[in-house]
Amino acid sequence: MPLKESEAIVLRTYPFRESDLLVTLFTRLEGKVRGVARAAKKSRRRFGGALEPLTYVKVTYEDRERQELARLDACEVLESPLASEVTYQRAVALGHVAELLDELLPDREANDAVFRLGVSVLSHLRGTEYWLPITYFDLWMARLMGYLPDISECLTCGRALNGSRAFFHALADGLVCPEHKRLASSEMSAESRKMAALMLKLPLSAVDPASFAKLPGADLRKFLLQTLERHIEKKLVTRGMLERMTC
Amino acid sequence: MSRFAEPMARLIDELKKLPGVGSKSAQRLAFHILRSSEEDASALAGAIHEVKASLRLCSVCNNITDVDPCVYCSSPTRNQRLICVVEEPTNIAAVEKTRHYNGVYHVLHGSISPIHGVGPEQLRISNLMKRVEDEQADEVILATNPTVEGEATATYLSGQLRRAGLKVTRIATGIPAGSDIEYADEITMLKAMEGRREL
Repeated sequence: MPLKESEAIVLRTYPFRESDLLVTLFTRLEGKVRGVARAAKKSRRRFGGALEPLTYVKVTYEDRERQELARLDACEVLESPLASEVTYQRAVALGHVAELLDELLPDREANDAVFRLGVSVLSHLRGTEYWLPITYFDLWMARLMGYLPDISECLTCGRALNGSRAFFHALADGLVCPEHKRLASSEMSAESRKMAALMLKLPLSAVDPASFAKLPGADLRKFLLQTLERHIEKKLVTRGMLERMTC
Repeated sequence: MSRFAEPMARLIDELKKLPGVGSKSAQRLAFHILRSSEEDASALAGAIHEVKASLRLCSVCNNITDVDPCVYCSSPTRNQRLICVVEEPTNIAAVEKTRHYNGVYHVLHGSISPIHGVGPEQLRISNLMKRVEDEQADEVILATNPTVEGEATATYLSGQLRRAGLKVTRIATGIPAGSDIEYADEITMLKAMEGRREL
């Protein structure tokens, strides 16, 4: 089988056999690919720090006949999360990106829009501002996966929510007006909805971090994560950690 | 139906659970045990039993030990005010190999790994904080792995340990001794350049 070369984001690694690593990569060429990096635990010379989670790499791999796992041949680092300080908050943010990509993407299905989103968000997670890239990523992942309903109108009556209060519920899609809100609903502020609309129009680099700093968008993130969790039918491991970071 | 007698099949199944041991290796080990003397087989069984029965965690540093406190924590010749924080008990052996470290240790039993659901509360950090206060430590060396998880753990601990008079240091990262710069990967080289020192 010929060697394949692609840009990729390393999502997770697991110890495998005596000294190998089982690596989950999100490649630009083929989407999510699982492969084995032989002797990666024993010798750092071949892969170095390239297999650290959330490293943006150029990977060379080979598919083997009748085998699900590819064989990783080489990895060249294009951008590493270790290049800047890894704080606890940054580690949680990076872990959240990796978890969402791993949980939401199907195996071996290229998705260039999600790949570009991932690379862009990773480059913005270098500094000390986490909430804007994380919220932008959650919003666009929900949109690109087709899980994001129209948040400008009540999902029940279709009335425009401009300026009025809007509510969401863990077990229901979208936003509703005060009239159709269910028990134990949460409110999403008009500012957060405005911010979401802005994020859907602009690239991440064009969203002003200063305007977001005043409004960290916890309600918007809660809505998005509830939506994503409902569709993948499982709790996200990093969600609790993100929530504790806001406290 | 198993090709082996029931006790043999059971031994192979148990050996297969060990890390890095597949079916073939398990069979080889099982036949080796079968061919060995009665005393050797009993010694192996006894050693496995004893390791589970007598080993526990040191109440001071969380190292695996048969006496509490462990040999490092109870040593009068070691500097009890110098604490080296490591992720796993096996990391202690690597530091001890240098023969230049005379302080004590603290084992976290893991590192912060958000993607695996491991936060600071799952690590043995609270008794480190208490220990640093009670023993009036002078320096804490953060010797976690130079990975994303190890770095996050070190950064978190350095924030928690900030207090007047306590020196918090991080082990250096860079080119391994005796290696060739030509073969160093980008990140290692970057860290080596960042951590350069004046001669």
